Amino acid sequence: MAAFGSGAFGALPRSGPAERVAISGGGLCGWLAACLLARHLPHLRIVVHPASADEETRPDRSLGVPLAAEVLLPGDLEHIAAAGLRGGDLIRHCRGSFMLGTALTGWRAAGGPAFVPFGEIGAPLGPVPFHQIVAAARARGHDVNMANYALGALCAQTGRFAPPRSDDASVLSTLSFGLAVESDALRRLLRDDALAHGVQHGEAVADPASLCAAADLVIDARGAPEAWSENGGEQGGEDWSALMPFDRALVAKRAEPGTPPPPPPPYAHLSALAEGWQGFVPLAGAMTETLVFAAAAPPAEVTGALPEAHRLAPGRSAAAWQGAIVRMGAAAQQHDPVAGLQLHLALADVVRLIALFPANADCAVEAAEYNRQWRERSDCAFDYTVLRLARNGAKGAVWDRLRAAALPHRTAYRHDLYAANGRIALHDGEVFETPGWVMQFEALGIRPRRPDALAMTVPDMAITAHFEAIRKAMLAGVAKLPPHGAVLAEVCA
Amino acid sequence: MANSALAAAEGGHPGAGEGAQAPVGSVVIVGGGTAGWMTAAALANRLAGLPVTITLVESDEIGTVGVGEATVPHIRFFNARLGIDEADFMRRTNATFKLGIEFVNWGRKGDSYIHPFGAHGEPIEGVAFHHIWARYRRAGGTEPIEAFSLPVLAARENRFAHPAPDPASLLSTYSYAYQFDAALYAAYLRSYAEKRGVRRIEGRVIAVDQDGESGQVRRLTLDDGREIGGELFVDCSGFRGLLIEQTLKTGYADWSHWLPCNRAVAVPCASAGPLSPYTRATALDAGWQWRIPLQHRTGNGHVYCSSYISDEAAAETLLARLDGAPQAEPRFLRFLTGKRHRQWNRNVVAIGLSAGFLEPLESTSIHLIQLGIGFLMDLFPTREWDPMLAREYNRLMDLEYERVRDFLILHYHATERADTPFWNYVRTMRVPDSLAERMTAFRERGIVVNYRDGMFLDASWVAVYAGQGIVPRRSDPRAEGLSDAGLFIKLASLREDYARMAGELPQQARFLEMIGARMDMRAPEGVA
Ligand SMILES: Cc1cc2nc3c(=O)[nH]c(=O)nc-3n(C[C@H](O)[C@H](O)[C@H](O)COP(=O)(O)OP(=O)(O)OC[C@H]3O[C@@H](n4cnc5c(N)ncnc54)[C@H](O)[C@@H]3O)c2cc1C
Repeated sequence: MAAFGSGAFGALPRSGPAERVAISGGGLCGWLAACLLARHLPHLRIVVHPASADEETRPDRSLGVPLAAEVLLPGDLEHIAAAGLRGGDLIRHCRGSFMLGTALTGWRAAGGPAFVPFGEIGAPLGPVPFHQIVAAARARGHDVNMANYALGALCAQTGRFAPPRSDDASVLSTLSFGLAVESDALRRLLRDDALAHGVQHGEAVADPASLCAAADLVIDARGAPEAWSENGGEQGGEDWSALMPFDRALVAKRAEPGTPPPPPPPYAHLSALAEGWQGFVPLAGAMTETLVFAAAAPPAEVTGALPEAHRLAPGRSAAAWQGAIVRMGAAAQQHDPVAGLQLHLALADVVRLIALFPANADCAVEAAEYNRQWRERSDCAFDYTVLRLARNGAKGAVWDRLRAAALPHRTAYRHDLYAANGRIALHDGEVFETPGWVMQFEALGIRPRRPDALAMTVPDMAITAHFEAIRKAMLAGVAKLPPHGAVLAEVCA
Repeated sequence: MANSALAAAEGGHPGAGEGAQAPVGSVVIVGGGTAGWMTAAALANRLAGLPVTITLVESDEIGTVGVGEATVPHIRFFNARLGIDEADFMRRTNATFKLGIEFVNWGRKGDSYIHPFGAHGEPIEGVAFHHIWARYRRAGGTEPIEAFSLPVLAARENRFAHPAPDPASLLSTYSYAYQFDAALYAAYLRSYAEKRGVRRIEGRVIAVDQDGESGQVRRLTLDDGREIGGELFVDCSGFRGLLIEQTLKTGYADWSHWLPCNRAVAVPCASAGPLSPYTRATALDAGWQWRIPLQHRTGNGHVYCSSYISDEAAAETLLARLDGAPQAEPRFLRFLTGKRHRQWNRNVVAIGLSAGFLEPLESTSIHLIQLGIGFLMDLFPTREWDPMLAREYNRLMDLEYERVRDFLILHYHATERADTPFWNYVRTMRVPDSLAERMTAFRERGIVVNYRDGMFLDASWVAVYAGQGIVPRRSDPRAEGLSDAGLFIKLASLREDYARMAGELPQQARFLEMIGARMDMRAPEGVA
């Protein structure tokens, strides 16, 4: 509507009480909050206080494990754009590389590596979802690789990718992508942007509670506490170490050799090891690596490096927002980073706070709703992470123990329902929709015992034709795309 | 079924699995009301191609409840999936379009608002419109939120046209449903289902045999001695719950302490005035009255709580308030609000009034039937009867029922009325925590607590909150920062846009003619 074009209120004076926000912790989480709050709520006065005088020299644990690279999921990029930050800047300044999904090796007992792409898989046939059609085809003896019908997987295989143009009506418009970024570079980018939007540096303060006197709202972004049950003396924190048993992480980044270095592959890679797991997230010109294991039973090759390993303490606090203090990122919850959700969860916290930002000091209602949504998202991330760790086909004693462990009711229910008939039970606060769950189950080697009855009504010939049509359209679309490296080079030029 | 022979000729169902892996091969539906025939039609359509026989038993002697005439927009997807032509269907069921429900006397006596099938206003700079509106009201603005809704403005002038497909147009900001003659709709679906191979048996079920070991229902015996065996039984027998309750003793969650109305009296009357594209729900002393305009008559009823008013007084009140001559004797109905503990129990799935009852304040029953049918399709059982299917079905239906329940309670609880014992009770009763938290969040900060599953989205909650006098005390800080002058200018121009657009739509009666949906005067019974 013309009368309501963007910026209709841009010139109007703003009134209302000045809001003072103090952020404790100048890591990635703290500056992410500072930057987005400053851009969305320009009336705020925001000060970022380091958690210690030497914070800059310590590993940044504000999101959890101080990974060298973090991943923004497809939906996250919309939040970044809504704040007015440009994806191109992230690529230029943070060695950004497009992400189409994750290749998983060693997570299922039989069959080779699997690819878990972002976005849709195939296309439904009338009322029948694609994965049920696949189940029906398999029940009739056909061998189907679901990833062959995911655009993201085809792009990853061929190394071709470009963000779809908004006017593209072809199959390419369904392409869903995230972005890998160098963690520290992202922190600096957000910090500089926040400072340019009026955020101030404050002095180092160890205890966020002491900031309450001079602020209406305090954000605790210092990372995970030593133990969840003793988190600032609070009751009801949860310790997740029984289902997320790995407590050490080694992180590394190495430059890719060659001038110019080879273009980064547009996907992450995750291998199950006998004692834990290893992840690789590519950046432009560099490869980052994470090795996660238990201190009690480390892989033989890392024993020398044990002292350098970062501690990982999965769990969460009883409530993220208590009184005038909002714990964000790993200060509120820490998951095993096997699902790559650290940055996503922190960003979700910030976006939620913006939507629920209190209008005055009495914020019990906002806090209650924030905590409800935070817990829902946390539960969903928990289920996704725990199923990856405890319902896979990986080889090793630790995996055998995990597979034997009892799961919380809801987590087990998701697995059991899918294993029964391929239905995905979705809840409020979900990180992934049906395709994300289906592809995770595929990658773990879990298949429905029987196909859906409706899918069985589709004649074989119709299924074959449907598969062929999808594949043909996708291959034609992918062939039109430039190599991933060329697109990155163009953005950076 | 007709299509199964074809599928077999094409190579059958090699993967359908033998024995336990195969989908059940025979479905028996008990009941031929709206629930029974909707189920039969949908199964016949969606299971075409599977070797399944579908049988429906109904008793002319018992009959159907026969009410249930107002719907919600989801019914259009149900009809579309069956391939039903809109104009044809409307003609044969004397249907009208429905843009929403007008609520009269709910928040306070003398109040009126319409809960439309569409959102109010539009977000401004990323801030939901209700925050902007609340800010405007606190600054002294007087327009109700419905002044910023195209479907409400159109409905109030009896205008209607199909929404526009172009999302940039204001004419795309609403959806619509139908008001139809329930008996004609059931008959319409019956002919659809019978054409597609559903076998109909007339007779009264007098005995039900269960498997000694599993407790599953095996066989029905009719009053004339005929026996009907089956694998999956869908109980559409209405309030009595012939299989789910009388046979399986599933148990019922009683919600009447929150929704105390437990009776209704219904009577059709002659149409009067222009054909309105909305249902009206008028709050009365011990309940409320519905008015559903169809092409050939108006459906009316009084839903009430027997602790506060007698049947005679309820009928009298209704008859005194009709806007046309009554066309039949008043019919009395009794019900208990709540739901079965498990709507899928063993091999019986209860759909319709047998599954539970939520009063027709928001026309939700037919939608709950539709949802049940959809979930049953998605979770269609095989002979192994995997218990996960029933668990998931019950989980999904429980969520829907509870969320509709909370939404209905809101209508009674968000009131200032203190003029009768009935209103004093509902105004002061303790509501479910799930609802109390929602109401607080909206009242204090304009937060609309939303969810993934559940038929009523944010816009519906906002419509009822705002319509019943809950204006948030605080808004989103981004709305708080706006200047009064700018706000008033913007909202005034927005209101004019909506009013102008609404004024350009045709009268509904005219529109029905334009699309060929005017009822067929020649053959009212001619449902083929
Ligand atoms: C007052 C009132 C107003 C309503 N208004 C609305 C509304 O506006 N919108 C809406 O969506 N819904 C409304 N409803 C709900 C709606 O009427 C029902 O959901 C709908 O009619 C479905 O009913 P049914 O098919 O489950 O049961 P019924 O119509 O009762 O049908 C039961 C069937 O089972 C058969 N049967 C029962 N016992 C036996 C037996 N022993 N042997 C053989 N057959 C048997 C009967 O013959 C009949 O065919 C309203 C309900 C009430 C009570």
